[in-house]
Amino acid sequence: MRYKKTASTVLEPDMTPMIDVVFQLIAFFMLVTNFEQTQADERVKLPSDQLARPPEAARDKVLVVNIGFNRNKQGEKTDPEAYIFEGDELIPVLDYGRRLLEEKRVAQALYGPEGNQEMTIEIRADSETPTGLIQELIKLSQENGFEKFSLRAKQLVK
Amino acid sequence: MKLRSSRVSATKIEAQMAPMIDVVFQLLIFFMLTLKIIPLEGDFNINMPLGQQATDSPDIDIPPIKVRLTANPDGTLAGVTMRQVSLGNDNLAFDRLNAEVGNLVGRRDNPFLDDLEVEIDADYNLHYRHVISAVSACTGYVNPQNGNVIRYVEKVKFAPPRRPGT
Repeated sequence: MRYKKTASTVLEPDMTPMIDVVFQLIAFFMLVTNFEQTQADERVKLPSDQLARPPEAARDKVLVVNIGFNRNKQGEKTDPEAYIFEGDELIPVLDYGRRLLEEKRVAQALYGPEGNQEMTIEIRADSETPTGLIQELIKLSQENGFEKFSLRAKQLVK
Repeated sequence: MKLRSSRVSATKIEAQMAPMIDVVFQLLIFFMLTLKIIPLEGDFNINMPLGQQATDSPDIDIPPIKVRLTANPDGTLAGVTMRQVSLGNDNLAFDRLNAEVGNLVGRRDNPFLDDLEVEIDADYNLHYRHVISAVSACTGYVNPQNGNVIRYVEKVKFAPPRRPGT
C-alpha cells in the first residue's frame, strides 16, 4: 500500500495586527501613567469646586498634609475623629505641632534660615472635616513660621 | 564561454517574534498595573503670616469683607452671612454670596481691588466643603461663555477658630 506524502501545513497566524494593537496599548498606558511621587492620600475625600484650578507653575517647596477620617470599604466613617495621615500613622490634628517644628528645621536646613516661610503647606482635607481643625492646623503652622497655604479641592467640571 | 549562473537560494530570515511579544506583554501588564487614575485637583491660595489671624492689622485701610458661616450641630450649613446680611443656607446661598462680593468689588478697574481681603469666620464644627464653597464664591466665578476664571478677590484669610465652649 502506498501512502501519499502530503506537505505538512503549519498554520502561522498573522501577528502584525495584534502587535500593532499591543503597541498602541503600551503607548496609551505610558502616556497616562503618572510616575510623579504624589503625596496624595486616597482615604481623603476632597471637596470639589469649579474654581479649583491647578497652579500655573508647579511649587517646589511643598509640605502636603492629608486630613481625613478612617472609613470602611463602603466609605462610611468608622471613627468620628479626624486625623492627619502620614503613611499608616494617624496623628490627631492638635498634636501635629511637633511634626511641624521638625519640618521647619528641615526646611531651614535645606533652603536657608527663611526656608520655612517659602514653603507652602498644601492642605488636603476631607470634605467633612470640621473647619475648626483646619484653622487649628493653620495656626500651628503659623506658630512655626509657615505663611503660605493652599487648600486643595477636586476640580469640578460642569 | 558558458556563463554559469550561480543560483543562490533566497534564504528568508524570519525574525523571532516570540521573545518580543513576551517582552511587549510584560510591558503592557506593568503599565496596566501601575496605572492610577487620579482626579484633577486644584487649589486656593491663602497667605496668612502670623499676626494677621487674630485681629485686623492696623496697616490695612480697607476693612476685610467678613463672611460668617454658621453650622448646625451635625456640621451642615446653618447660614451664610455677609456684613450682617443673611444669604440663606440653601444651595443658592453661595451664589448669592458670589453676587454680593461681585457687587462690592465692582468693576475690574476698582483701585482698591488688590487691597480687598475676605475674612472667613466659620463655626468650629462646620464641614470643610462649605468653607471651600465660600472661598470659591468670594474669589471669583467661571465665565460660562469661555470657561475662564474671573477673579474678584485674591486675598483670603480665616478668623480665629471658634473653639467649642469659648
